[in-house]
Amino acid sequence: MKLKLLLILLITFSAQIISAQEGIISGTVNDGEFNDVLPFANILIKGTTKGTTSDFDGKYVLDVEPGTYTVTFSYLGYETKEISEVIVEPGAEQIIDITLNPLANALDEVVVTTTVSKNTEASVLNLQKNSVALLDGLSIQSIKKSGASDIASAIKSVPGVSVQGGKFVYVRGLGDRYTKSILNGVDVPGLDPDRNTLQLDIFPTNILDNIIVIKSATADQPADFTGGVVDIVTKDFPTRAEYSISTGLGYNSSMHFKDNYLNYDGSPTDALGFDNGQRDLAIPQNIETPLPVVDGNRSAALTRLLEPNLKALENQSGADFNIGFTAGNQYDLNEDGTKKIGYLASLTYKNSTDFYEDAVSGQVFRKQDQDKSVLELTDDRTQSGNIGVNNVLISGLAGISLKSLQSKYKLNVLHIQNGESGASYIRQDNFNVNSNTIFKDVLTYTQRSITNILLNGEHTNEDASWKVSWKVSPTFSKIYDKDLRTTPFRFEPETGNFTISPSESGDPSRIWRDLEEYNVASKLDLTRKHQLFGRDAKLKFGGAFTIKERDFVVNQFSTPIQSQAGNYSLNFEGNADLVLAPENIYDPETREGTYVRRDSNISDSFNSQITVGAGYVGDEFKLSDRFNAIVGVRFEKFDLRYSGENQDGEVFDNQTILDKADFFPSANFIYELNEEANKKIRASFSSTTARPSFKEASNAQIFDPVSSTFFIGNIDIQPTYINNYDIRFEAYGEGTNFFAISGFAKTFDDPIELTFIREARGQFIPLNLGDAKVFGAELEYRRNMGFIPGWENFNFNANISVIESQQTYSEDEEAARIDNLRTGETLDDTRQLQGQSPLLLNVGFDYSNNDNGWQGGIVYNVQGKTLEIVGNGDIPDVYTLPFHNLKMNLSKEFGKENSSKITLKFENIINDDIESVYQSFGAQDQIYSSRYPGQAISLGYSYQF
Amino acid sequence: MKKIIWSFATVTAIIAAASCEKETVVEVEKEVIVVDTVTTETEVEVETSITVSEDIITDVTWTADKIVTLDGRVFVTEGATLTIEPGTIIKANAGSGVNASVLIVTRGSKIEALGTAAAPIIFTSAADNIVIGQTSGTNLDQNDRGLWGGLILLGNAPASFDGDAVSAQIEGVPTDTDGDKGLYGGTDAADDSGTLQYISIRHGGALIGEGNEINGLTLGAVGTGTTIDNIEVVGNVDDGVEFFGGSVNATNLFVWAQGDDGLDIDQAYSGTIDNAVVVQGGISDHALEIDGPEGSLQGAYTLTNATLIGLAENIAGGEIADFRSNAQGTNNNILVTGFTGVGTDLVLSDVELDNEGVAANYTAGTLVLTNWEIVLPTGVTNSSDVFNDTTDSTTFEADAATFSSAVTEATVGADTSAFSWTYSNAKASLGF
Repeated sequence: MKLKLLLILLITFSAQIISAQEGIISGTVNDGEFNDVLPFANILIKGTTKGTTSDFDGKYVLDVEPGTYTVTFSYLGYETKEISEVIVEPGAEQIIDITLNPLANALDEVVVTTTVSKNTEASVLNLQKNSVALLDGLSIQSIKKSGASDIASAIKSVPGVSVQGGKFVYVRGLGDRYTKSILNGVDVPGLDPDRNTLQLDIFPTNILDNIIVIKSATADQPADFTGGVVDIVTKDFPTRAEYSISTGLGYNSSMHFKDNYLNYDGSPTDALGFDNGQRDLAIPQNIETPLPVVDGNRSAALTRLLEPNLKALENQSGADFNIGFTAGNQYDLNEDGTKKIGYLASLTYKNSTDFYEDAVSGQVFRKQDQDKSVLELTDDRTQSGNIGVNNVLISGLAGISLKSLQSKYKLNVLHIQNGESGASYIRQDNFNVNSNTIFKDVLTYTQRSITNILLNGEHTNEDASWKVSWKVSPTFSKIYDKDLRTTPFRFEPETGNFTISPSESGDPSRIWRDLEEYNVASKLDLTRKHQLFGRDAKLKFGGAFTIKERDFVVNQFSTPIQSQAGNYSLNFEGNADLVLAPENIYDPETREGTYVRRDSNISDSFNSQITVGAGYVGDEFKLSDRFNAIVGVRFEKFDLRYSGENQDGEVFDNQTILDKADFFPSANFIYELNEEANKKIRASFSSTTARPSFKEASNAQIFDPVSSTFFIGNIDIQPTYINNYDIRFEAYGEGTNFFAISGFAKTFDDPIELTFIREARGQFIPLNLGDAKVFGAELEYRRNMGFIPGWENFNFNANISVIESQQTYSEDEEAARIDNLRTGETLDDTRQLQGQSPLLLNVGFDYSNNDNGWQGGIVYNVQGKTLEIVGNGDIPDVYTLPFHNLKMNLSKEFGKENSSKITLKFENIINDDIESVYQSFGAQDQIYSSRYPGQAISLGYSYQF
Repeated sequence: MKKIIWSFATVTAIIAAASCEKETVVEVEKEVIVVDTVTTETEVEVETSITVSEDIITDVTWTADKIVTLDGRVFVTEGATLTIEPGTIIKANAGSGVNASVLIVTRGSKIEALGTAAAPIIFTSAADNIVIGQTSGTNLDQNDRGLWGGLILLGNAPASFDGDAVSAQIEGVPTDTDGDKGLYGGTDAADDSGTLQYISIRHGGALIGEGNEINGLTLGAVGTGTTIDNIEVVGNVDDGVEFFGGSVNATNLFVWAQGDDGLDIDQAYSGTIDNAVVVQGGISDHALEIDGPEGSLQGAYTLTNATLIGLAENIAGGEIADFRSNAQGTNNNILVTGFTGVGTDLVLSDVELDNEGVAANYTAGTLVLTNWEIVLPTGVTNSSDVFNDTTDSTTFEADAATFSSAVTEATVGADTSAFSWTYSNAKASLGF
């Protein structure tokens, strides 16, 4: 099978080389009236008979001899555009995306003439400019400009977008509960089971067509988003044969080539993103572990089944590297080129190594309980240590598309394989609840995979007045935590002894967690062009159905140590690798040694199923020449069924937990303030929802040994309903010059938040809290620096979002806060919404010169102080402090047709660290967690042929 | 005739059970290990055993003629009273975490467990070969720990919590969404959780949540209306008896070979403990571990007439007493004997003021020590040498010369004759 694929690749590759002498003009023709493509537009090389028409995707390709041309674009009832100075080089592709605007009077003939370079710049904003809904597009061109190699780093330049942990997108600072990421318009489960959003760093930019961030809802979008929807759209196929290879190296001075980096012996296939079975569940689920006193031989035999290496080993760390290939081509299936088949394949391998020295995590500081006039916090737990993480990510995408004049079919297969291996050695000092010092070796391995298939068809009729699009997309996702090993030793400074002391620090533990999820999303969209109020209008209607099912199983073991006269664990002398050494396994003769005990239980495991059925209708129409509107309503029926058992033995067997049927109205308006349509006002209203996750709407009681906390599911939890209001003024200037100011407000009914339980320390439950409000303002500015002579290639852009959130307290929280007020402190009526950033700022300055191939940019971004953990009585709130991230990138294209490119990037130039702190009235901040990400330099090379 | 049929049925059942052998094969990719043959012996004890796995929500009596098998976490709740007859043996199944077998008497419910010196009520592991009519089995000893959970009483008396909540969830029990079964603490100092008399709790302390092993006897905010006397705890992973707040008085407590601390006091426990013995084992930590209030609610305990017996030359450590955080109370007539002294690889067992909070309480007179007698460990010449203020901010070490004395014949401490009934007395030949 693999051989066959390789063969096909080779054949297509050699076929291409032969015909490489002609050049290509290609692109997309857009409809200035609707935010849509313009099918069947005429494209002509001026002064020749050579021409073509755009297909129903608005796409066109013209094969031409090398030379300089003027190209005309025309369509009945629309202006004609002439683009001059189109230079086509042998074998090269010249991309011209163009927008044609309708004529007020169909009999007029208007010809707009421009040059190719001006047109290219302007086309970037076209999508955004013409959309009635509020959205921001990130075209592949601008991603390339930013030097980003994956979506996560590219998307930060979109206003109001922030990326958490380099992976998860937050729109307008709203936590990922309120942001949705979808792939090619359909829901795809992410690699993180506890998040609603897809992890973005797994997508290489070379498979992208564009990313669209939609901030205001329309009826054709899913209803379960609030901040925004991030739609990642992969390429169909290139307009000509395209093969590329890219490779990169990254060096971080505080992480790489360090001799004290921590790892452990894993399986030989770790480097390929999966475990070869070495970390498989050691003791099958149906095997009981007897007490050693009952059956010593069996207990010892079962204990020997566990992998004995428990120690985080010091080894030298490597650097980051990546390599990627893409291949794509299209072929005409008939003489006139109206039937085409094409493919796109990409394979990426990334290996990255992180090492955090003296990373601080999970520290506990408290307010003085005895005396409320004491403002300073006292330490209850300090915890720090070295953490080493190696991450391997392989992603493969293969797609085939078939296009005819009126139909398009696309089959895409995406597989992502990820393995993350971690080792850490942590010191923990407890002062209050316990009083001790603990050293922990922690070894982790998480293997994740997603396989997504997308089958998509689009059809149109002859005059393109009807358009039908359907999608079926199954996804299989697997996340396995394989053999997480924690070995805690208690250290007694007085004696210098290391002991395993279960009542102080717990027994050594082993955990396996399996999460399997399948998801089938399907949708049907129909578009009908019609007349309303004597003007063109577009009716959209359709439906969607998604089914998701998740299985979650936990297997957990401890390995306690049986002692007789003395304390047997003294023999280990603090060396974790001796705990399961053969000589220390339980000996039935002496009745001493380490034995295995099953700790897992049914309440950790569950099975859930979600179905969402949706139907919608919406109309995009004009109230006057300058006043556009989309008004629509969406209906969604949401069901969640759950099977599981809690610790009390309460059993749910495929029981319906949530059954909601709701209408979600939306209205978007855009008013052009002038004839040229370069000043606009937008206003929108929509109603959306945020639904609890699988885990939240359950009665599961899941213990997390890493944070030593219990997650308690809430079987009574209800979805949140949100009303969204947006208003925006936009001014488009020359080229990409742009200014926008927006205001928005959101009101939340019953927002869900993971909250503490006042009476149960270390236990958390998702609750519907009191109502919340979010208000914000956004400012966006892009300016070409050409007003300074000689600075034509420089661009400045900045965007800032200021957001105020107000969350009312739950009853428990309010009582706990009042009981723990310091002398002189008063309680505000509301607090920040958890995870809501009050400020987002991006400022960038870039240089781009197509003539000499140089590109460069410097970007600064920061996020305001954000409420990370809501305090619990005498434990104050934890805030994530701003991380001031200044980055620079520089690239140069060179060689024949600029086919080679070298990129150099610098990260964290300011040398900031990532820190969260406890903040309390009148007290000095105390660290909750802190990590130093180091300063990284990466060098990349890519070659396109 | 009827009797004969019964026996016949029993015999066939035993034969059937004995022939029910199965081989358990554990497959590992590298090798196939045949873990030795397991024989599933289902004892047919229709008349001599009952299994309890569901919550007790109506009044129930456990009688001495049946062994009670405790299977999993069992709450006595909804105002029910559990009565246990003298001589009853309760055997708890193995398991940890959620699967730990624990008997929890919730707020507003009661336990009436009145054993006698001759017929104590015994809580032990299902692995114990003790049978009805005996007071001990033969196959387990004080080093067999964690074979089941423990006994937990939760009451409505005041307790002082972090963040000043009125009640709290007992450690390791997750919150249940439809009730408050795991909560303890309230405002009724006179609350009555029933009676515990002549109770022996053995081999317990299974893990219930990370780092949370169950104590032999856990008393969460138990009030003065409750009667607790003559309690023995042997071979528990965690503490012997732990008082989380509450005001109950307890007499005649005996703890042997616990994995952590003998008697543990927290959250402003304000009752009196009279006549107690702690005998340390090889992995024991402190004989006494005393914390104070966590929140602003204050409360002080009284400990009087106690004997703390250590292990000499224990390289694993093991301390006499640790007064911590904000400890408040009176410690009177305490005998300390047999602890580790000074020598190669040895660290002197001590009585410690652990931090500044407790040191301040000592200076303020809210933590009081009187009449301590020390049988001097090896290499120690003065009784005051075993007293250590880690903060060096008080007159504690100097005062020790006054409130403590070195003895060879004790004049204070517990009246050990009260413990002659215990399993430990016989097993360890204590001569009480």
